[in-house]
Amino acid sequence: MANLKAHLGPLELRTPVIAASGTFGFGEEYSDIMELDCLGALVVKGLTLKPRPGNSPPRIVETPAGLLNAIGLENPGLDVFLARELPRLREQGVPVIVNIAGETEDEYVVLAAELCSAGGIIALELNVSCPNVEKGGLLFGTAPYSLQKLVQKVRESCDIPLIVKLSPNVTDIVELAQAAQQGGADILSLINTIRGMVIDVHTMRPVLGNESGGLSGPAMRPVAVRMVCEVFRHVHIPIIGMGGIMQLEDALQFILAGAGAVAVGTGNFVDPLTIPKLVSSLDSYLEEKGYRSLEPLVGAAVV
Amino acid sequence: MLARAVVKEISKISRRIYLLELEEERLAKEASPGQFLHIRVSSVYAPLLRRPFSVAGVNDNNNTVQVLFAEIGEGTRLLSQLSRGAYVDCLGPLGSGFKCFSEETPAVLIAGGMGAAPLLFLANSLVQQKREVFMFYGAPSFSEMIPLQLFSTEGLNVIIATEDGSSGFHGLVTEAFQDSLQRGLKPGQVFACGARAMLKVLAEDSRQRNYHLQVSLEESMACGIGACRGCAVKVKKEQELPVPFARVCKEGPVFDAREVVW
Repeated sequence: MANLKAHLGPLELRTPVIAASGTFGFGEEYSDIMELDCLGALVVKGLTLKPRPGNSPPRIVETPAGLLNAIGLENPGLDVFLARELPRLREQGVPVIVNIAGETEDEYVVLAAELCSAGGIIALELNVSCPNVEKGGLLFGTAPYSLQKLVQKVRESCDIPLIVKLSPNVTDIVELAQAAQQGGADILSLINTIRGMVIDVHTMRPVLGNESGGLSGPAMRPVAVRMVCEVFRHVHIPIIGMGGIMQLEDALQFILAGAGAVAVGTGNFVDPLTIPKLVSSLDSYLEEKGYRSLEPLVGAAVV
Repeated sequence: MLARAVVKEISKISRRIYLLELEEERLAKEASPGQFLHIRVSSVYAPLLRRPFSVAGVNDNNNTVQVLFAEIGEGTRLLSQLSRGAYVDCLGPLGSGFKCFSEETPAVLIAGGMGAAPLLFLANSLVQQKREVFMFYGAPSFSEMIPLQLFSTEGLNVIIATEDGSSGFHGLVTEAFQDSLQRGLKPGQVFACGARAMLKVLAEDSRQRNYHLQVSLEESMACGIGACRGCAVKVKKEQELPVPFARVCKEGPVFDAREVVW
């Protein structure tokens, strides 16, 4: 058997496949269907300091080979998370990464510090790229200077690995990646969803309650692969690649473009067994090609 | 929860409506009225997402579950083209179904259009429990109705309504029900499934006349198992959820009408 461990700077994962934020609940939903030990990590849905009700429905609509969503960071808030969800997550035995979102720098700092001291979390993922909330989030993720400052502050408030999740909704994602690196990020994850809209021609109104939403799924994969490749060329910290990964060939594209690990999001909805199938096919692939680990493949397509 | 069911039979039973019988022992044993199956309609990625369908009935004798669906888009078109013996990737049975706690009779079931699917399952199970059941079933026109032989269970009283008057009561199914109330029908529990506007009318009526109503709701759905929070429905806070939204796929699809924010 090949070694499937992924080494992302200070973070070591047992497999290179992560369940992307907001797509895997707290693990319980999927534990009836599969063994969770194939997950490199589970990224918990965007957590905010105060509870957030989320957006008015409809929150999702299907598009050609894609999904447009505007959930709006519905979550129970930090206190309920610490009291109720985190203990349940620990029971599942899955390495947990918490995705955090704030409206202000201070909110991010408080979230990071509290989660860090709660323990049992292997890394934090800074959400600076949610396209579906009014304040904060994406605002930090689209201006290099504010992003660098934010990452710096969070970096100072916690000592566990820090991942910054980048938005594709920018002119030059490399600038933001460099800003996150300068601020002290250990790892970058990309991409979040791409802003989009679907209009119902009968009602002559946007379908989603929030009007616009974020596009995920195979439809946006080429955009994501290109961005991973660009960031890999210009930044020296590890990358978690994601965007429409459904099977082995998709994951390989991200790895060859420079991702040291990959995340599956929308794929979990289509086939709940996407991650276990992907992990076992990555294993067979490495075996077949005679690689002892993923490392020689990471960025191999980037010249 | 994940099942590989076999198409036992698929038949076109009216202009747009199909009856699909899926053979899978666990689904047939576990499914209860109001629950649904989340079916993958394509092995490629367009259409991408699974489609949720209420279970319309089970047959314990041959381990089958029934699904009734109307061909309205690409997903249901692909489903309609399945042939006997084909494998179908199903998640299920999912969600919280109807809760029949009241022994008061009669039970009244009110169905609009394809909303008849989960109520047919409920009707059959109530009739088996020797409960007196009235089922109101409405559609725009007789030609768009599910064939009435599917409602021909012994002991089930069926009242049909069509908006164009082509059969039965001339008007909306909610009007047919209210008409019966005025003629003296005294419902125990009431169960309804149909368009949101129809359910809203009933929710208001149940509040005024003080009868207990459960509704089965529909919302666009991604995961089907409670993880993505895509199928949110606004509910009153008393439900003790940290946020004022419940998930149609998990807490629902059946809700107490008083809990829903209409």
